[in-house]
Amino acid sequence: MNNMALMLVDDEERFLQTTSKLLARKGLEALTATSGQEALDKLETEYVDVVILDVKMPGMDGLETLKQIKSRHPLVEVIMLTGHGTIDSAVEGMRTGAYDYLTKPCDLGELLSKSEAAYFRRQVMEEKIRQAQVRRAASSPRDFVRELENE
Amino acid sequence: MANNHKQTKISDLRKKLLTAMIIVPAIPFFLVLAIGYYQFVKSLEAETFSRISRIANDHRRVVQMFLDERRSDLVFATDVFKLRDLSQKNTLAKAFSYLKSQSSAYVDLGVFNQKGIHVAYQGPYELEGKSYANAPWFKMVMLHGYYISDVFLGYRKVPHFVVAVKATNGGEVWVLRATIDTKFFTGFVEGVRIGKTGEAYILNDQGMLQTERRASGMIMSKDQEHIKELTPRGQSEAFVRKAEGGHEYVYATAWLNDHKWLLVVRQEVNDAFSSLWEATYVGVIILLIGGAGIVSIAFLLTNSLVMRIQMLDREKEELDQQLIMTSRLAEIGEMSAGFAHEINNPLQVISAEQTLIDTILTDMAQRGDLPQSKDTEEVLDSVAQIRQQVDRCGSITQSILKFARQKDPKPENVDIGEFMGQVADMLRKKAEVNGIDLTVKAQPGLPKVNADPGQLQQVLLNLLNNAFDAVTQRHGVAGGKVEMYADNHGDQVTIRVKDNGHGISQHNAGKIFRPFFSTKPVGKGTGLGLSVCYGIVDKMNGSMEVESTEGEGATFFVKLPATTPAPPCT
Repeated sequence: MNNMALMLVDDEERFLQTTSKLLARKGLEALTATSGQEALDKLETEYVDVVILDVKMPGMDGLETLKQIKSRHPLVEVIMLTGHGTIDSAVEGMRTGAYDYLTKPCDLGELLSKSEAAYFRRQVMEEKIRQAQVRRAASSPRDFVRELENE
Repeated sequence: MANNHKQTKISDLRKKLLTAMIIVPAIPFFLVLAIGYYQFVKSLEAETFSRISRIANDHRRVVQMFLDERRSDLVFATDVFKLRDLSQKNTLAKAFSYLKSQSSAYVDLGVFNQKGIHVAYQGPYELEGKSYANAPWFKMVMLHGYYISDVFLGYRKVPHFVVAVKATNGGEVWVLRATIDTKFFTGFVEGVRIGKTGEAYILNDQGMLQTERRASGMIMSKDQEHIKELTPRGQSEAFVRKAEGGHEYVYATAWLNDHKWLLVVRQEVNDAFSSLWEATYVGVIILLIGGAGIVSIAFLLTNSLVMRIQMLDREKEELDQQLIMTSRLAEIGEMSAGFAHEINNPLQVISAEQTLIDTILTDMAQRGDLPQSKDTEEVLDSVAQIRQQVDRCGSITQSILKFARQKDPKPENVDIGEFMGQVADMLRKKAEVNGIDLTVKAQPGLPKVNADPGQLQQVLLNLLNNAFDAVTQRHGVAGGKVEMYADNHGDQVTIRVKDNGHGISQHNAGKIFRPFFSTKPVGKGTGLGLSVCYGIVDKMNGSMEVESTEGEGATFFVKLPATTPAPPCT
């Protein structure tokens, strides 16, 4: 579990700092980003399993960021972080592909348990994909080899 | 102040209404009455004039006939007798008795030769031998062959008038003259009876009375009313004049006796128009009754109208009050939502900081870096307290946001009986733990209700939880009773949540649906629950009410409109 790669996206810097300190204490290194754009930039270079994404941010808001993440990195799981007033957008976020949502103020335990669940789903998904590939390789090894060569 | 203003407005309105309601029907009413009265007076006047004219003409004919008959009598006598015969006393007496048999108006009879000497006389006076050569009547009869004189005194010094005819039989010219009794003639002329004040008399062309008048006026005296001057010779007239003594009379005149005499018939106006007075009397009664009717109906209508207006005013005021309440709720909702949302961000940071402190302290304690002292204990306690208060803030902002989040409901047809059972089941355990007797009943065959199930559940849960709090506060863990009951009146379904808790004071009952109003101890309630319920039910076109007796319990009513049954498919 401790090798879960987490990224926190929130415009509240102090929250990012404190939370990453807390996560560090739990043995989790977390990336942070203060805007949607920064998050997308970091996703290009860094490997991330789960993104905790604030819905309400200046500039690119949470929903837009979510769409971008999902289109560029479909396997990255996203958990929306919302004030209760924007719960409708959290629901919409889940329709767009977010795994779950957290309401502010949330405590660390809740954040962690939902992140772990998301991480678990991602692993299940990756496992399924791997099995599918294996099945395909078994049924037509030539195609598989060609595909590997292409990569 | 505002009340005063409204009072004057209402009384102003009442005045205006009353005036309009009296004037509008009164104008046509009075107009009809006045026109009718005017027409009646007109026709009555015309009718009266024509009646009195007719009487005058009829009477003129009768009097004229009388005079003509007297002339015929004399002509007959002169045809039958000769001057020689009538100079004989007994023959004259015979002729006179014949005339008397024709009319008792004859006073005497005389025979004159052509020189005007009274040759023979039959009557009460001594007139034989007197000469009448210069008497106007004698000249006139010699000239015209026939003459009826005006009333005069003559030798006898008594008012009388004569009828004379000239005869030429037997080779001689002579005159036969008869005197007519003015008393008889007066009686004959006066014999017209019209009403109480009607009278008839004759004037000559000098305006002298030829008959006596019942009212006043000696025979041969001058008519003081100058009636003759008002009647052109040869014409019949009818008119109204003021007579001596101030009374008004209706006059009708007719000429007779070759336009020498004027027959006057007159009647006092009041008498002639007596039916007018009757009609006026009736008219006044109609006027009074009609006027009173109009006024009283106007009063009644105005009163009922004003009452209705006042009622509508009151209803409008209540509606306004509700509207203000609703819009205030919405405003507060919006404002507090923004507020709560903004609070949540710093709260999130505080929460994270507290968790960090707590984690660090726990780690330090595990490592043994934390000295066992009273200060350490207080720091730990304080940190724990911060967590508690952050959670409390969180729950406040959450409920505020819940209150504000009155999104558009997604209504479905809900079977209230079944639904109440489900909601009650959610609290069954809590009721058991607290020793509360929770019963749920629904009248069979309840119509369905169009409501968002989630929201309706929130309302019922809130009411039940409040009831639980109320009964446990009063009875502890035994003896609490909460009953949920639903029935319907027509297309309104009413859900009652009744408890036997501590009840609500009169003072608080009015404020119970207001946001942030709570009687619970600090930190136990946000005062938003019922106002959220109120808002939800209001959005469903329903209403919420409360009834309570302090110390005995409270009943909350949720009234919801039933779904109108879908029309059968054809």
